[in-house]
Parts: sequence; C-alpha cells; structure tokens
Amino acid sequence: MPPGRESRTMRLLAILAAVALVGCGRRQDELAKHAPVEPVGSSGAGGKVPAAPVAERLLQPFDPPPLEELVSSATWIDRPVRDAVAVLRDQQRAQTPKAGAAEALAMRNTSAAANEVILSSLGRLPEEGQADFDARIDRHIAADINSTNPIMISSTYEFDVLGLTGFGLFSTDRSLEPFASSEAVTSWQSTANGLIDKVVLRDDLFWSDGRRITAHDIAFTFQVIMDPRVPVPAVRSGTDQLRWVHAYDDRTIVFFHKEPLATNVWNINFPVLPKHVYEKTWEDDPTLKDSDAHVKLEQSPIVGGPYEIVDRKRGQQIVLRRRKGWSHVDDKQVRGVPFFKEIRFRIIEDPNTSLLAIKAGEIDDLMLTPEQWTTQTTGDDFYERNTKVTAPEWVSFHFGWNIETPFFADRRVRRAMSYAFNHDDMLEKLCYGLYKPAAGHFPEDGWMAPKKKLEPYKQNLDKAEALLDEAGWIDRDNDGIRDKQIDGRLVPLEFSVLVSQQPLRVEICKLLQQNLEQVGVRVNVRPVESTVLQQKTLERKFEAYFGGWGAGTDPDSSENIWATGAPRNFVNYSNPEVDRLFADGRRELDRSKRAEKYARIQEILYEDQPYTWLFQRNSFYGFSKSLRGYVFSPRGPYNYSPGFGSLWKPRAE
Amino acid sequence: MTASLPRPIGFWGDAWRRFRRRPLAVAAVAFIGFLAAVAILAPAIAGTKPVLCRYKGRLYAPCLAYFDRRLEPVVFAQDRFRGSYPANLAAKDPESWAIWPLVFQDPFRAVRADEWPGRPANPSRDQGRPSRTNLFGTDQYGVDVFAKMVHGTTVALLVGFVSMGLASVIGITLGALGGYFGGWADSLVSRFTEVVMCIPTLILILALVAIVEKPTIWKTMAIIGATNWTSIARLTRGEFLRLRQSEFVMAARAAGAGPLRIMLRHILPNSLAPVLVPITFGIASAILIESSLSFLGFGPPPPSASWGAVLNDARSNLSMWWLVLFPGMAIFLTVLAYNLVGEALQEVTDPRLRESRK
Repeated sequence: MPPGRESRTMRLLAILAAVALVGCGRRQDELAKHAPVEPVGSSGAGGKVPAAPVAERLLQPFDPPPLEELVSSATWIDRPVRDAVAVLRDQQRAQTPKAGAAEALAMRNTSAAANEVILSSLGRLPEEGQADFDARIDRHIAADINSTNPIMISSTYEFDVLGLTGFGLFSTDRSLEPFASSEAVTSWQSTANGLIDKVVLRDDLFWSDGRRITAHDIAFTFQVIMDPRVPVPAVRSGTDQLRWVHAYDDRTIVFFHKEPLATNVWNINFPVLPKHVYEKTWEDDPTLKDSDAHVKLEQSPIVGGPYEIVDRKRGQQIVLRRRKGWSHVDDKQVRGVPFFKEIRFRIIEDPNTSLLAIKAGEIDDLMLTPEQWTTQTTGDDFYERNTKVTAPEWVSFHFGWNIETPFFADRRVRRAMSYAFNHDDMLEKLCYGLYKPAAGHFPEDGWMAPKKKLEPYKQNLDKAEALLDEAGWIDRDNDGIRDKQIDGRLVPLEFSVLVSQQPLRVEICKLLQQNLEQVGVRVNVRPVESTVLQQKTLERKFEAYFGGWGAGTDPDSSENIWATGAPRNFVNYSNPEVDRLFADGRRELDRSKRAEKYARIQEILYEDQPYTWLFQRNSFYGFSKSLRGYVFSPRGPYNYSPGFGSLWKPRAE
Repeated sequence: MTASLPRPIGFWGDAWRRFRRRPLAVAAVAFIGFLAAVAILAPAIAGTKPVLCRYKGRLYAPCLAYFDRRLEPVVFAQDRFRGSYPANLAAKDPESWAIWPLVFQDPFRAVRADEWPGRPANPSRDQGRPSRTNLFGTDQYGVDVFAKMVHGTTVALLVGFVSMGLASVIGITLGALGGYFGGWADSLVSRFTEVVMCIPTLILILALVAIVEKPTIWKTMAIIGATNWTSIARLTRGEFLRLRQSEFVMAARAAGAGPLRIMLRHILPNSLAPVLVPITFGIASAILIESSLSFLGFGPPPPSASWGAVLNDARSNLSMWWLVLFPGMAIFLTVLAYNLVGEALQEVTDPRLRESRK
C-alpha cells in the first residue's frame, strides 16, 4: 500500500465533512416573513419530507417565497461560472514549456530543475489534433469503492471514481477557490447578505437513461441527504447547514442558508441523484442499497457525469466509458469531449505489486512511496515506460494524543512527547529526506497559516525529561518507567500507539518507541488494519495514534477536528478560544481578517500540542510516458478541477 | 563369580546407536544445538548493551534487557544513559569497565555515528551491503541484519519448542484418553480431532491476530500450538488402542494398577517413539508458520526480531539481496534440520523400517 492509503481516506473525510454543527441561531431578517420557523411537527409546505419521527427530523418545513419576490427583494452578486479546461488552456498559453515533450521524456527526474522541466513540458493540454480521443487510461486505485451511489461517498477512492460519473454544479480550482462549472450551469448568483444562492442550469443535460437533468433532481437529492433514515456517511455534514433547497422550475434552483457563513459556498456543493429513478424506490428502502431495485442500481447506476460504469469486478477493476450523451445532444456537440474513451481503474493494494505493474506498463499512474521514489524508480526498468514528478501537497501526518487519558491531559506531557521524538531521524532516514517537517495543522504555505512561521519541534531529550518531571511523572518505584500517583494508584507512563500496517508508518512508531524508552516512557506499537484504526479513533478508544489529514477546501473544514466535541476531534481537544475563533472565522467574510483567526488557532495548537506534528507529505507520482497534461494542486493531481480532466494521451504518429 | 553379561542396550539405546550411523541426522542435531546456543547467547553475540559491566562499584548485566526489557538495570535509566552505553559509561564513571558483545550492533535500531568510538553510522536506504561492520548488511532503516538474525533465532526456536510443547500436551492427553477408554470417549476425541483438522491454521491465526487486543509472540505460539496437535493425537490414540490389548498391560491391570498408572507408567513410554516424529515435523512447520506470519506483517509486534520480518523488508526492494539470502537460508536450514531429525527418528524407531533399511 502506498503510505497514503488510510490517510487519503481520512483526508476525504476531512474534505467532505466540511462543516460541523454550529448553533442554529436562525436569523430573523428580511426573509423571515417568508420563512417562518414553524413549530416542530406541524405539516409545512415542503411536502416531500417523509414522516420521520419528530426527534430525528433534521429539516424543518419551509415555505419558499415566489421567485419574482425573491429576485426583487435582494441585491444579487454574480459568482464565477467557468470552464475549467478552458481556464487552464488560457493560463498555459501564457507559459512556454521549458523543453519539448521528447526532450522531457528522455530526462531523469533527479533534481528540482529537472522536475520543473518535466512538469512544464508534459503537464500541458493538447494542441488541436494532438490528443487521441480513442485512448484508454489504466489508473491505479489502492482500494475498492464501497458504493456507486454518489451520496454514499466516504473515501477518496469513491471520490476518484464517482467524481467522473457523477453530476455536480460546482468545482474547486487549483488554488482551492470555488466556481460553478459552465458545463452544467449558465449562471450563479448570491445575495449580498450571503443568505441565498440562485443557480440556473443548462437545458442540455441528460442522465444516462436519456431523461433530462433538472433542478428538481437537486432539490430531491437534498431531501434524501437530509432524511435521517438514509445512512449518508459523509456528505450530510455541510449540507445540513442549508435551510432549504427549492426548484422553481426545471432550470432554476435556489439554496437558502441558515446563516451568512463564509463556508456557504461549499455547503451548496453536493452530489445529485436522478429523481425519476429514486423517487419510486426510496420510500420502500431508505438504506438505498438493500432492495432489489437498489441492488440493480448499485450494479449499473444511472449517472449524469461524463463517464458511465460499464464493468465492475469487486476487488479487481472498475471500467468507465465516455458517455456520448454528455457531450452531444442529437449528434450536435454541446460540451467539450473528455480526452479518454475508457478509464480502467485497477485495484491493487500492495505497493510492491503496483510498482511492478507500472514498470510493466499495466497501469499508467501511481503514487510513489519515499522508498520507491528514491531507490526503486531510478533505473531503466522504470524509465523505459514511465517518468515521475513531484509537487507540493497539503497533507500532513501526526501522532494524536488522547487528552482524556491520564497521560496526556497535561499539556507538558504532550510537549515532552514532541521534544522526545527524533524528528531529524524520521525525516532523513525513514522518509528519505523527501518530506518537509510540519509544525502545525494548516500548511505553512497556505493563506491561513501565520505570517511568522512556527518552528517545527526538534528533539531535545533534556527538555522532554524536564517537562515530564515538572508534570509529576517521575520513576518512583525504580523500574525504569516514569509513574505518577493517580487516585491512590501508581500509574506507569506506558501506552499503546495505534498505526495502520504500512511499513513506513510502523517504522515511525518504532522510532517513537525507541526515543521515549530513552526518557523512561514505555510505548507499545500496535499495527492494526486501517479500518480498525478508523473505528478505534472514531470511538476514542486509544491512547495515541498515528494518522494524517489532507487539506479541506477551506480552513473551516478543520473545525470538525478541533472544536470541542466535534466528530473528528479524536483526541478530545477542547479550548474555548479555538471554538470561538472557528465560529468567528466562518462569519468573517474578509479573507485577510479570516486568515488572522486561523493563524491564531495555529499558534494555540502549537502551544498545546494535542498532536505531535510530523511531516507534510508532498505528491510523488509515476506516470506513463504516454500520459500528458498532469497539473498539481495542493490536493494532488486529481482532486480539483480540471484535475483528471486535463490528462490526455497523444495520437500515435 | 558370575559371568559379566553385557548390559542390554534397550530400545532407546538401540535407536540412538542407529541414529548415530546417519551423518546427516547427526549434523542436523548439531545444527539445532548450534542454533540453541546462538539463541541463548544472542545478547552476548550482537547487541549494544554490555554483557557485564561494573558501574559505580556494582556489577550489572544490562544485556539481559534483550530477553525482557524489564531486566534493564534501573540505575542506567536514572543516570540518563538513554540506551547508549559506551560513551556514558566512560563519562559518568571513569572507573567503570564493561564486557561488550562480540558484534556491537542492535537488532531494533540503527547504530549512530560514533556511538562506538570511531565507528560510522550504519548505512540506510539501499546502501547497506554486507561489510565488516555490518556482516549481513543493513535494512532500509539502517538496522543491522546480523543482529536481527541472531536475535531472531530466539524467536524461531522458542516458537518451535513452545508451540509444539503445547501441541504435544494437548495431543497426547486427548489421544491417550480416546485410545485407552475407547467407546464414546474415543469417538468424541476422534470427531473433535477431525473438526480441528478441517480448520486452515494460517487463516485461523490471521483471524485471531485481528481480534486479540494485545498481540504478543506468546499468543501466536499458543494459537499455533492449539491448532497443530491433531496428528499427535491421532498417532497417540492408535498406539494406545494397540497397546491396551497387550500382555504387559493386562498384567499390570491384573496386579491392580489403576487406569492413570497404566496409561502413564506402562503405555505412554512404549508409545512415545512414533509420537516424537510428528512433534519434530511440527516444530519445523511451526517455524514456517511464524515466518509466514511475520512475512505477511502479522508477526509479533515491534520491537521484535524475526526472520520472516526481515524477508518482509526485502519485499519492497528485491535488489537488496542480503535481505532475502540470509533469513531465507536460515529458515530453510532450520526447517531442513528438523525434518532430517524427524525422518531419522522415524526410521530408527519403527521396527519395520529398521528391518528393511538395517
């Protein structure tokens, strides 16, 4: 497995779970007369809400105002509607490649300069007539997907696959700014007070069964996601910040927000289901997967995106084919044709096997581990068919200390852990000098990080021992292990650290074990299945763990990691000031003032060390020589727009 | 004067006489003896903690910490040695002296530069070819393979003996009960044995390892032992079935001996020879199972040295041949040795084979 496997899962969890619950102080402004907050249980206007038990109901009925009144009652601001590929094409027109493609392909990526040349000359969109539109790409994917239903997305693997088959209105660009895709939308407007978003869809959008995609599909999907009986793993958080979604006609969809939040632009982005299909089956089987009809849909889903699933062998491969109905209506081209005719996802979990596969030309892309990058991909056997590139990425790894345990309640102990760990050994020896040290939660080159860079912790055993002494952990019973009297019992400072079974991660934990042994702290390293690790962390049943987070599209998405009682606050961290700063940051609309809030959070976390931050992992990818157009964002080469959409293969000469 | 008769050789003496005539089997026994010596002396062969040292007027044996980390003398933790002895001993007590292991290398961590005066740091990544300081090379993280192999011997031998010891106790007890009493006891034991035989050991172990809260090498051994007793039980049962009808058992019974006494005193010693054979083969298979588990990453939790784990390190970089060759050879030779011993035992104790092969 590449080192990213479970972290990538967690990353998406972080990305998707954009916003945790905030106190719903419903604002009584000019809309209030149209949006009466009705008492719980009264049957309101939104007749689609199924009769769920009152206590579980997530949505209050809502009576949307007539469209004319809505349009005239507020000032509207236009929001960006773009074609991501066209934007990239414009940007690249201004840059000249540093070398020809043939020259770049002959190069070996041994220096930063070489990396830059390869990226600038191979990471380009095709000129007219250059691309082979009949090409097939064999993509590597490290685990199978759980479901083909887009609202059931919960890991990056599903995001990778369903992002290509699914229909959505919005995207994120390379600098993680949101925009509406011109392939789906003709206009996107928000009210000046930030409480309403109005989107007008194109009229030439069709599901794979030939029915039109309309605004009603979006309104319907919102109701499904918000139905407490539907087991939606990730996409409900964020979406639950919406007050209502209403389709005024086939093309006009309006999103009503509870509060004017900076994160509202993310909350309106959720996957879309075909209403005409699920309308009939949903009430009978709210799990969306058990009934016969849903089993059939799982096997061959009705999709609205550029690709459809044509074959799926569990644990082996998923084959997608380009949908003509996406780009053409009545044989007339209405949208850009995606570059690949067929995409074959090959599921290979073992990193050694996948490396052999890319060397043999069986897959076209692969995320490389530091060991693979440094020692396994330097010879002719790799360069014969492939090349490799690296770029910065916002993924960082850490040890999490469970603050609810007697060991880590004290900040001094957590800081002692950070001082005891040999960061240099980890970076140099275990990570082959490829990863940058991380000092805090937000990436230091992000806009939300403090201007004055925080100094990453360095090993200082004297300081670590002094802090442990100060915190009262002293070896009283002469067994070489520090201990402390807690509730009349002598508790030794001995704990387990959970880690997923990947060689590099286990090695890092073994290094922690060695280092802490030196200062009289005993660690048991417990490698477990990544699913077990997720389970244990979600249930807070651990003392320490090794894990990672990827950057969400917005720093606010980290609130569900740090706010008191937040769902992904595995370490039980609680600091009222951090809670307040997140709440303020969300309401603050000015970017630079927001940045100050998040910078302050970063500083507080740095002082408190609920995590020992370890390193920031950049992107390291191997690509087949036949592949072009890879462009990297802080979320890697795929998870943004155009992302995968800019990849292509040249026509055979 | 009585004529001095030659002392009768007896069954075991005869077997040993025949055993000695097989050079391969004797070599195998010698090899196992050698491994046992390596296992016991492991901390004195390779390690970074003194075998014996005098520090502030007292004698210590810090090397015992390799057997159990609780055995490390506390004084060194209190004096902040932080696991690095050579420099600290000299600095904190100039009067001190120490006897060092033959090879100054650690099975769990890479030796740093100048930890041993004048010795460079262990090479890491794919640079750790076998050399004078690292006899069998180092792994990707700079840990010495020779030290890992030496300390891994302890694990390999322990796994073999402990798990098959447990399997023998279970197998002989159940087989004896079934064979001696017959009837419903026999069918119960036989059916139970068949049920256990049907369970694929490796898969059962993988499942159990996933459930167990705190996996240790001892639990792995227990699981291997608890699943590998079936052939022992079947053979013991057969022997007991055969012998309980024999004259000497009848004589014992006539003399008033109880069932327990008959089983332990009369039948068991006479049925041991054929039972030893599956035990010996079982030890070989237990070592293989432990290596496969470590190779798959389900072995004993860190820190622990295991031959299979070294092989697992090799998987990510096959060009580091020393990570394949040394542990592979060790596993191969050890399993071969036990199999040779088992085969020889079978031949020297089975009268039919003995007649045919002389």
